Amino acid sequence: MKLSTYLSLGLVAMVLGVLIVFQFRVTRHIEQGIPAGRAQELALELRQLEKDKSKLEAEANDLSLKLEQVTRGQTEAEKALKDELAKARLLSGLVSVTGPGIEVTLDNPPQQPGGGGPASLYVIRDEDLLRVINELRGAGAEALSINGQRIVAHSEIRWAAPFINVNLTRVVPPYHILAIGKPDNLKSALEIPGGLVEYLRDLGVQVKIQPYDRLTIPGYSRTTEFRYAKPVVKG
Amino acid sequence: MWLGIWLAVAGLVLGVLLGLNIPLVLPQVYAKYLSVAALAALDSVFGGIRAAMEDQFDNTVFISGFFSNALLAAGLAFIGERLGIDLYLAAVVAFGVRLFQNLAIIRRHLFKKIK
Repeated sequence: MKLSTYLSLGLVAMVLGVLIVFQFRVTRHIEQGIPAGRAQELALELRQLEKDKSKLEAEANDLSLKLEQVTRGQTEAEKALKDELAKARLLSGLVSVTGPGIEVTLDNPPQQPGGGGPASLYVIRDEDLLRVINELRGAGAEALSINGQRIVAHSEIRWAAPFINVNLTRVVPPYHILAIGKPDNLKSALEIPGGLVEYLRDLGVQVKIQPYDRLTIPGYSRTTEFRYAKPVVKG
Repeated sequence: MWLGIWLAVAGLVLGVLLGLNIPLVLPQVYAKYLSVAALAALDSVFGGIRAAMEDQFDNTVFISGFFSNALLAAGLAFIGERLGIDLYLAAVVAFGVRLFQNLAIIRRHLFKKIK
């Protein structure tokens, strides 16, 4: 045999050895892991799932944002409703209110004991109270009461001899009219020369006006039922 | 002839040592090709031994057969992979059958020599 034959034989044997050993090593690797095709498949699946996951995460974020917005909107609406309700209650006089104001005390002319002197026969009538209330309203009073009876939109001040009814409740002299508003304005509106107080004093009525920094007017305590009046539904 | 065998064994040992010491691990994707190529190479070697025993050994045929068989087997596996057919099985079967044939012939030659 020639030298080249030996050389080629050795070379081939060497290549074969390398091949076989490589294959051994690769095979050992494969046995530890998973088949190549399966790995590729799983990698593909993983990528797909990651894509899905990111998409779902974005969706979840979006939805939670929307939920948050909705919740915020709801609380805002609730707050607005509550505010509106409080305003309506305040406006309708159902709640007690406090603030600066004046107290107007009206009392019948003093009856002269023993009939000495010219006794005034005048007694305070419902018109007088109405006019006082009206004057105070005109001067910007925000809440009014007569002897603890809150004057609301449907309060009556009615002569039911020998008493005066306010809110279907008897009130007796002396009449304490409480008004919340700017005390100076209220006071001056009543005491204007030629005004109501002057007129009443001329009649002999005892009028006392006392400004207060803070007085409390109770709310309207009767329940109001609307049996006949129904709200008109628009549209 | 014994010199040739020893030389082949020495080459094999050298190749094994080389393969073990190369810090290169082929990706598992190529494992299939490599395995078929190794089978083809093994077949070529057995074919060479048989040819040598029959005194028909041709170095050129041996070398070219070795490499072309290995490459063809790997190529077949590759094409099979692309086509979705396990075409490497063809190489495995063909080379496996030839391996056994060659081994049988070598055995007979050895028996003849011993007698």
